[in-house]
Amino acid sequence: MKKMELVKLIDTTRCTACRGCQVACKQWNELPGLKTKNWGSYQNPPDLQWNTWTLIRFNEVADKDNRVKWLFRKDGCMHCTDAACVKVCPSGALYHTEYGTVGIHHERCIGCKECMAACPFEIPKYDRDTDKVYKCDLCYSRIKDDQQPACVKSCPTGALSIGAKDAMIKKAYDRVKKLGGDANVYGDQFVDGTHVIYVLQEKPEMYDHLPKHPRVPFSVVAWKDFLKPISLLAAGGVLAGSFLHYIIHGPKTPDDIQENKTQGGE
Amino acid sequence: MKKGMIQATDAFERITHWLLAISCLVLCITGLGMMFHSFNFVGTMMGGLKSLKYVHNFTALIFIVALYMAVRMWWKEAGVFVLPEDLDWIKAAGGYLWHVDKVPEVGKYNPGQKAFFLVVALCGSLMVVTGLIMWAPLIFPVWLVRWMYPLHALGFVAIFSFFFVHLYLGTIGSPGSAPAMFSGWVTRAWLLKQHPKWLKEMEEHGTLVVYGEEKESIEHGH
Ligand code: HEM
Repeated sequence: MKKMELVKLIDTTRCTACRGCQVACKQWNELPGLKTKNWGSYQNPPDLQWNTWTLIRFNEVADKDNRVKWLFRKDGCMHCTDAACVKVCPSGALYHTEYGTVGIHHERCIGCKECMAACPFEIPKYDRDTDKVYKCDLCYSRIKDDQQPACVKSCPTGALSIGAKDAMIKKAYDRVKKLGGDANVYGDQFVDGTHVIYVLQEKPEMYDHLPKHPRVPFSVVAWKDFLKPISLLAAGGVLAGSFLHYIIHGPKTPDDIQENKTQGGE
Repeated sequence: MKKGMIQATDAFERITHWLLAISCLVLCITGLGMMFHSFNFVGTMMGGLKSLKYVHNFTALIFIVALYMAVRMWWKEAGVFVLPEDLDWIKAAGGYLWHVDKVPEVGKYNPGQKAFFLVVALCGSLMVVTGLIMWAPLIFPVWLVRWMYPLHALGFVAIFSFFFVHLYLGTIGSPGSAPAMFSGWVTRAWLLKQHPKWLKEMEEHGTLVVYGEEKESIEHGH
């Protein structure tokens, strides 16, 4: 029952790293701030956390003239169509919403952390106190009331926008054409298309923590698409085989004991 | 207890067997509860999937102990193949699949039982290692943790399907077997059919325990 597939576009070339989105996300989702540490970067906290669902990454790179320049990237859940986390989640806590995004029912999460190993973007984060995993749900509570996600709402530069999938992808490619050079669209060509896509100024490998070819790990495919059905098929086959053995060959019954030496006929 | 019954297993053997069997089955059932959404109801019966996970994880600790006891106890009898007799038995499929005039006599456990023991011992160890890593995944690198899940599933495929062979042959597929693991006392006829060589060995070594008979008097009776 798909309503309308939504895509959030992150145009990193327009991002000034004001981190308004980071704060808005915390505010709407009522996530606490925790003590952080100075590790020599404005990127704060250093990584996504259970209480930080989106984070501006500050990448320092050298340009042609060897001058330092910053690449900003808003990190967070990419909302894959073929989402490895949904595939592995044993309890159905992670699920596909009617917008194509990946939601999370926290009351169902059992803290098994299987999604953490499966996610090609290393997005889900674990909280020891609640024994649950957390990540961005693209403000499901807002989009179902026709509101923009908190991050999009807060963005002052137009780096963030959300809309119908096709329109947003077109917008991204138009923007890349205008930018020229190494600029590229990231997301629509992976894992059957993500519902968060980037316009990147540089090649993906220039950005920290951004996989060049994200995909559902082969281990997940081997496990869920192959071994999982095999387990029931094999057991069912053995049961059927045993039944056939019983009715065709018959059980292995002990011979009549020869203790009373009177051997019958035949 | 009828006179003439023979003791096939002692209490320790049976306790070890059932500790292993019950913990293994609980792990299989709770594991299925996590593996298939359609089996999530197993968790509901335990008060939620989270409780089911606790049951699974802590039953695993019992399984580790039981597996260790079982491997120590059975390794010599069921862990090593003896040639050429075991090979002859395999060539005849133990007489289970087609008619064989005289099934080759093998040691206490036949190669089929040895195969099941080895599957339980080896896949069981695999389940322990992969399961423990899955229990604390954050202290291991992601590339390693990722492979633990399919390996855990692989071990499950092997143990679970083999279990049904075992269940069949331990009950209706080989009548007279089940008492070996319940009371421990079996009939001579069953031993003669199922473990003829073992019966002979016990008679030669004078270790045969027959109900209602003194140990010394084992010579008469057949
Ligand atoms: C409720 C189901 C089960 C029944 C009725 C059952 C019955 C038996 C019987 C009768 C034997 C002795 C066979 C003989 O002496 O010829 C046996 C042996 C054995 N059982 Fe089970 N068992 C059950 C479940 C299990 C499970 C779940 C495991 C695995 C974890 C297991 C592992 C073993 C092993 C390793 C042996 C030693 C010899 C062999 O490989 O057959 N059993 N069982």
